[in-house]
Amino acid sequence: MDLKSLKIYIPLIAILFLIPLIPMPGYVMHTLILVFLWAYLATAWNILGGFAGQLSLGHAAFFGIAAYTSYFMLTWYNISPWIGMFIGGIAAVALSIIIGYPCFRFGIREVYFALATIAFAEIMKDIFIYLRDITGGSLGIWLPHLGTNPLYFQFEEKWPYYYVIVTMWLVSLIIFKGMKRLREYLIAIREDEDVAASIGINITKYKLLALAISSFFTGLGGVFYFQYFRYINPHIAFGLETSLEMALIAIFGGMYSLWGPTIGSMILTPIAEYLRITLGGTYAGSHLIIYGVLLILVIRFLPKGVYGFYERITLRKLTSTVARKGE
Amino acid sequence: MNPTMIAQMIINGILIGGIYAVISIGLNIIFGVLKVINFAHGEFLMLSMYASYWLCALYGLNPYIALPLTTAIMFVFGVALERILIKPLLKAPPINQLLSTAALMLVLQNVALVLWHADYRSLTIKTFSIRLGDIYISGHRLIALIGALATTLLFYYFLMKTDTGRRIRAVAQDPEVSSILGINVPLIQTLTFGLGAALAGIAGALMISIYFVYPTVGTSFGLMAWIIIVLGGLGSFIGAFVGSFIIGLIESIAATIWSLELAKAIAFIVFLLVLFFKPTGLFGEKARV
Repeated sequence: MDLKSLKIYIPLIAILFLIPLIPMPGYVMHTLILVFLWAYLATAWNILGGFAGQLSLGHAAFFGIAAYTSYFMLTWYNISPWIGMFIGGIAAVALSIIIGYPCFRFGIREVYFALATIAFAEIMKDIFIYLRDITGGSLGIWLPHLGTNPLYFQFEEKWPYYYVIVTMWLVSLIIFKGMKRLREYLIAIREDEDVAASIGINITKYKLLALAISSFFTGLGGVFYFQYFRYINPHIAFGLETSLEMALIAIFGGMYSLWGPTIGSMILTPIAEYLRITLGGTYAGSHLIIYGVLLILVIRFLPKGVYGFYERITLRKLTSTVARKGE
Repeated sequence: MNPTMIAQMIINGILIGGIYAVISIGLNIIFGVLKVINFAHGEFLMLSMYASYWLCALYGLNPYIALPLTTAIMFVFGVALERILIKPLLKAPPINQLLSTAALMLVLQNVALVLWHADYRSLTIKTFSIRLGDIYISGHRLIALIGALATTLLFYYFLMKTDTGRRIRAVAQDPEVSSILGINVPLIQTLTFGLGAALAGIAGALMISIYFVYPTVGTSFGLMAWIIIVLGGLGSFIGAFVGSFIIGLIESIAATIWSLELAKAIAFIVFLLVLFFKPTGLFGEKARV
């Protein structure tokens, strides 16, 4: 990172970390946490969905398996969710290879890949409902209440969760930004698999790598979700709606860029929360109508998402200034 | 397991297979002709179940008498939707089609949720069953199967023997050549989408006396329909028909032996195996529409 971008990033990060010092109502803090949670999840999804162009609609499988794994580690072995989180992430990676290897090995692409990942998440959901003696079935699981217990990733107040999720989001962005070579390979694969293969890129290997990284971070997000909400069930954990939400936010914001998913969450999550609060009980689900309509419009008119549109405008301005200066 | 149970299991599989057939043939014809990925097909079914429910609950109609009305409503809905949403998508990459229709799925589901809430609704209709020795066949399920078979046969006849049916098949095979031959391709596409939705309308009307209706009722049927047409071979009429009964039987057998959740999981596993090892499906390429 060069000096100029550091000058922009450091104050931005400082502001993010100072925000909780401002007195604010609980629901604002809650909304901020959700904005970063979904920004984080959509960013993780985007490694595979955006950069590698493999449209997974089954990412809930990785989200869910990690949440449940961390819960089992805590209740069976008394392992702190801080560690359980990473065990959950590894479980998500293992799961991702089970579905990813055959998909990439047999060249399952595009729509077929989307269908295969949906089927996979549904299988996980059905198995977790079926094994109700272990998993609690459809009724779901509650996090054992421990009060404020930083060693066990539990707080009575909301602000510590804010710091955790902002840190997770930042670290993931820095890691993805650092993996420049991998990103370039993935983009090459997305643009044209045959050409990418002909210049010596091992397609299966890099797709799998993207999937593994993506599912690992998604898994960590699943554990955060469970620690924060303290409840999860197979329908949330493995449901199509959870997978779709990750994908839709990323696509809305712009799936071809690092920042797009974050922009998507910054726009969509507050709208969703606002609708949930104001319309709440009477119109449950109305936020998803807005999501759906916005998405249909964005796909039709701004296929590169909001961020892609912004980039196009700034690029046009830049080229016109350059052109004027050249005269 | 005794022979009665086995017979009961197979009969149940065939009964559910008939319902699947009507739904998946509608999805299949849409894919075959428009080459568009319709992810909201299960939601068409949900809407038609609601249409059928309200026609019967508000006006006291019998669901079987309301069937033509439900079908007509869904046909009009399909035609309008094709004109507004689908037509501009036809040239878009498949991923964009999938995402747009997935977004449509969310919209339709949640519109239903806002309008009619999450309540499970069903019509209070007299049930009856037919007894063959120790085997029971639910009367409404039998009517649904007969209705489904009749619909499938009629639709097959329509595709094979009528002029419009031939046009539809021509567009499915090659839209450009069809257009050169003077077929109004956009019109055929709109008509086909309407017919696909109308088939979901028939399925919904047949199902309302068997199943509860709620906003997400369509999701699992929609997914199953996708599994069936990939299993049968995308675009293959016979494939979708045979695939429906295969999936119906797998579900019924697994549900009897283990449980309903596991039955769904096994159907999905079969789907993945077919996708990996025989991506053209059972009847792919050979028996195109």
